[in-house]
Amino acid sequence: MANFFPSWTNWLPLKLLVIVFVLGGVVTAGIWYYFTPKYTNVGYMPTQPVPFSHAVHVEQLGMDCRYCHSYVEVAGHSNVPSTQTCMACHSQIKSASPKLAAVRESWATGEPVQWVRIHKAPDYTYFNHAVHVNRGISCYSCHGQINAMPVVYQAEPLSMSWCLDCHRAPENFLRPPAEVFNLNWRPASSADQLAMGAEYKKEWNINPPVTCGGCHR
Amino acid sequence: MKRILPHPERPAKPVLWRSLDELAAKPEFDEILEREFPQGAAEWQGGEMSRRNFLQLMGASMALAGIGMAGCRRPEAYIVPFTQGVEWTIPGKFLYYATAQPRRNGAMPLVAATSSGRPTKLEGNPLHPISNGATDTFAQAAVLDLYDPTRSRAVKREGTTADAADFAAKLEEIRAAAEANGGEGLAFLVERNDSPTRDRLLALLQSRFPRLMWAEYEPLGAAEAEAATAACFGPGTALAPDFNQADKVLAVDCDFLNASFSGIDQVRGFTARRRISEPGQPMNRLYVAETRYTGTGGMADHRLRIKPSEAGPLLRALGREVAALTGDSDLAAVAVAFPDSALSSDPQWIVECAKDLAASRGRSLVVVGDGQPVSVQVLALAINKALGSFGRTLRGMKVQRPAASSITELAAAMEAGRVQNLFILGGNPVYNAPADLRFGDLLGGISTTVRLGLHEDETSAACRWHVPQAHFLESWGDTRSADGTICAVQPMILPLWDGVSELEILNRLAGNPEPVGPQLVRETFAGIAKGADLEAAWTEFLRKGFLADTAWPGAPLNFNTGAAEGLASAHRMPAGDGFEVAFTPSSTIDDGRYATNGWLQETPDFATKITWDNAVLVSPVTAKSLGLADGDMVKISAGDTSIKAAAIVAPGHADGALSISLGYGRTTIAGAASEAGFNAYPLRTTKGMAFVSNASLRRTGDKYKFSETQTHQSMEGRDLVREATLSRYDEDPTFAQTMGMDGHIPPNISLFTHPKLDSPEQWGMAVDLSTCVGCNACVVACQAENNIPIVGKDQVGRGRIMAWIRMDRYFAGDEEDPEMLAQAIMCQHCENAPCETVCPVNATVHSEDGLNLMAYNRCIGTRYCANNCPWKVRRFNFFDYNQRPLDQLYFGPLAKKGMAESLQMSKNPNVTVRMRGVMEKCTYCIQRIEEAKITRSVKAGASDKSLVPFPEVKSACQQACPSESIVFGDIRNPDSRVAKLKAEPRNYQMLKYLNVSPRTTYLARIKNPNMAMPGADKVGWANGHPHHGGGHGAGHEPAHGAEHATEAHGH
Repeated sequence: MANFFPSWTNWLPLKLLVIVFVLGGVVTAGIWYYFTPKYTNVGYMPTQPVPFSHAVHVEQLGMDCRYCHSYVEVAGHSNVPSTQTCMACHSQIKSASPKLAAVRESWATGEPVQWVRIHKAPDYTYFNHAVHVNRGISCYSCHGQINAMPVVYQAEPLSMSWCLDCHRAPENFLRPPAEVFNLNWRPASSADQLAMGAEYKKEWNINPPVTCGGCHR
Repeated sequence: MKRILPHPERPAKPVLWRSLDELAAKPEFDEILEREFPQGAAEWQGGEMSRRNFLQLMGASMALAGIGMAGCRRPEAYIVPFTQGVEWTIPGKFLYYATAQPRRNGAMPLVAATSSGRPTKLEGNPLHPISNGATDTFAQAAVLDLYDPTRSRAVKREGTTADAADFAAKLEEIRAAAEANGGEGLAFLVERNDSPTRDRLLALLQSRFPRLMWAEYEPLGAAEAEAATAACFGPGTALAPDFNQADKVLAVDCDFLNASFSGIDQVRGFTARRRISEPGQPMNRLYVAETRYTGTGGMADHRLRIKPSEAGPLLRALGREVAALTGDSDLAAVAVAFPDSALSSDPQWIVECAKDLAASRGRSLVVVGDGQPVSVQVLALAINKALGSFGRTLRGMKVQRPAASSITELAAAMEAGRVQNLFILGGNPVYNAPADLRFGDLLGGISTTVRLGLHEDETSAACRWHVPQAHFLESWGDTRSADGTICAVQPMILPLWDGVSELEILNRLAGNPEPVGPQLVRETFAGIAKGADLEAAWTEFLRKGFLADTAWPGAPLNFNTGAAEGLASAHRMPAGDGFEVAFTPSSTIDDGRYATNGWLQETPDFATKITWDNAVLVSPVTAKSLGLADGDMVKISAGDTSIKAAAIVAPGHADGALSISLGYGRTTIAGAASEAGFNAYPLRTTKGMAFVSNASLRRTGDKYKFSETQTHQSMEGRDLVREATLSRYDEDPTFAQTMGMDGHIPPNISLFTHPKLDSPEQWGMAVDLSTCVGCNACVVACQAENNIPIVGKDQVGRGRIMAWIRMDRYFAGDEEDPEMLAQAIMCQHCENAPCETVCPVNATVHSEDGLNLMAYNRCIGTRYCANNCPWKVRRFNFFDYNQRPLDQLYFGPLAKKGMAESLQMSKNPNVTVRMRGVMEKCTYCIQRIEEAKITRSVKAGASDKSLVPFPEVKSACQQACPSESIVFGDIRNPDSRVAKLKAEPRNYQMLKYLNVSPRTTYLARIKNPNMAMPGADKVGWANGHPHHGGGHGAGHEPAHGAEHATEAHGH
């Protein structure tokens, strides 16, 4: 009997099997990777040129966020303080600390300190700090308990679905305007939060954009 | 029940057409139209790499990148704050400064938006008396000039890089020598700029070195017009036309509606009288006599094609008529003095035009192009006198300008060996001086030639020293706008490449110490400003950008008939029966000074739609007689010089004449513009700066490929532009809404669910075709605002231009003498957008406020949306145009990657820089809308004030438009300008029968013909008869849609 199938087909089932395994593996690996915090960089904690501790400055010394991040209420971009801001205190306090060598060098040479960026929205995403903090969204909602971090890390995924979770239901996160920069403030209960948030949402006409154009331009 | 709504047939001979190929229904034209993207646009072609090779290479590089997954990890990025806080600077917010762009015809007052210390966008200064916040193409593109990576970066001595200290030493040496001999042999050649500080420094230099020579040259200057004005009204007099006061205007060889060559105020004044909102309103009337089609000709109610030399005879004939009608003896004397010569134009045109002008005595105006000889200029002034224009439509001003020699006088001094040290501050005389001066050769005989220039160009190569010039956005200075108001020129950024300004060089030559900051300007200011508190006045000057009440004082206009007669009688008509070649300014690169500017090079000339090139324009009749077709190379000879250039057949061009725009064919330009166009300057001599006569033309047999945009994405004759006469509008104000198919369509129903349009604001736009001149300011403004890349000549030829606004140009009527119409087309933001329904990945969706959004990060580049867009306004980024050098587009992964650092600085930080494979289009400047919304919310804070009526948002095109033709805003707010315009009867939607409900609508163009004029019955009927007019004969009937409007056409 003549061969119905040419001889190369002998290997076909095996090849198919390999392809299925490889494909399956890739899909699994892809999902595994893209759904882990590793991909969204949660927990990203690079070493900074200056071992600055928010915990010391905010928790121990009681400084307000806006002492350093001075334009957060007026600009889309929340500024990182200039060397001048650091030196305002550190020319007096701990003026010889080796930890501050980079700051002093920057002040002396005029070369800025290169802080490693942790929280990053993609280039095609336009996040605006001012509109969030002025309308009852705390730093805490995106940056986590940053006031207590000795070394800053990324606390939230900052992914689009994460953004939309709040944009679709801002009542879960709105807080009294006076508590926006108080990162230790917590609602009494989640029911309280919901009731209060819903009231603010109605009272302040909070209607966050959920169309593409709200953030992508 | 099935409804069939066929598209209107394309008529065999279209009434409205965009190119001669379309008019002649050539098969090539159809082929271009048939393809959504032109032949091969979607294919990998050109270069040596096949698609397969490319995939192999890409596969290999991806495999390499994949090892270790390093490519998946986010690269480390840095936040780099200031070391020391900078005054006023808030990271992420624009900071605005008032400044001005010096121009030969008066400065353009500007407001510069700077972001983190770099200027990214220029707008007009709305506070300035002659600006309404509008700008033109040149001002919009100035930012790119600043960041142009091909700018010169170092002092050069004999072509090799030298130290700035060497130059300083040389300067000191020249100064010492001049000190010793009183400036003997010291000469300056500068550009026109009414800068009080420059004038002050010149006076200082002249007091120290009384024998120095100060010469001024502008290749497209107004020397003839100024000579005529000085002769007729006394020296120091200048004229300012006031089109707002003119009911009837005759423009002879004068493109006064191009704001770049006249001024924003002139365009605004004219178009304000063109804007009508209800029937019965009066409208001005424009007569134009010109050689080639200009935007002004397109706006004309009556247009006469003349050879450039016929301007004189035409005005003479007109002058005699006007003199007879008004009994003005001065005009009669001047017109008689002007030598008689034959005129081929229809005498009735002149007679009726004269009657109409004379009928509006005191409210009419005659303007003549700057290039026309002084004899013609005085004739026009005499006519204006007879028409009673003086003091009404033509005002006199007393100007103060230091005396300056002409370039001819300078060349004579150089030839005679009377110049040893020559400073050429700006300009490019080796390239653009009159050819008979042989300026380049003369430079070789001068012992020290110093050139201050933005680029190392032809003149730099001929000079011993080249010094990089500081751009006006990098240097302190002052200047005057056309009305004489002193404007501040403030630096927005430190010189990028160690440029120095003209003022600094003059100051150093005067032996003064190096000024610190604005000191030079401030010293001048102290001498001019009134009032006790100088500090406050200075701050106000810088804040507002100008010093109020410094306009030139008015001057009475007393016409010196004797002088005018003398000048008029000296007129010489050109002899010989050869061609006349008119030299025209380039609407995109001026006299050549913007040749390195990619935004401008890629902006299609309004009339020809050619990018990156100029061409010899030939009328259809002349082309036929010579056997010329588009792209034929020709050799034009005049006297003993000749140039080679490619010809293009230009509808509406005068027969027996040729036009070529200046500024192209530069030889020393690096980069994308290096081979752009043909240099016409060799034909231009001191004997004829506006035109040369008796030239001969010969075909060389070669072909040249232009990159035109006129057939890109053509929309077949479907009454897209609509036009009527004023009388038809008065009878039937809603004519535009019933024109063509629109009178027949039954009420529309949609199969698709509509997006919820429930935002309090609903955005829309209205474009008034009555006032749109087609100047392209919006096109370049959009390019600057939205980070739109340029693609280069080759890619434009393949139909891949990226500009979000397409300035469509239509011709209507016969090819010899058609009407011309302009229509700016951008994304129409359809409520039922056809693009949205075909996107497989929802990359283009609708917002609640009526915007058709484009989410770049979702786009996978199927281009279905562009295929389904009825307006053809979507642009696809075939290559990484932003990131790749334009000459390496086809090198695949081997191409150099990355934008020049200086160009990165020019980008608007609020708009995504799009990458390859992504569709893009007009967004209605969503970044400005969102910014305004955010500002409102921030202001509201914890209150309910977040829905207060919207602060005014202007789109970039609207803000730039000199004629206020584009209006954007909230259409739901009945008090907004856009809502009011949309409520006007002239308002219509394009392609209404498609039921896409565009948010951008157009206001039909109204023409105001004088029915006594010859050919008046053809004016204002661009749409011809209705679309199914088989039985209607060829007559121009009003659209008869009205009676059908209620008829049910459903079948």
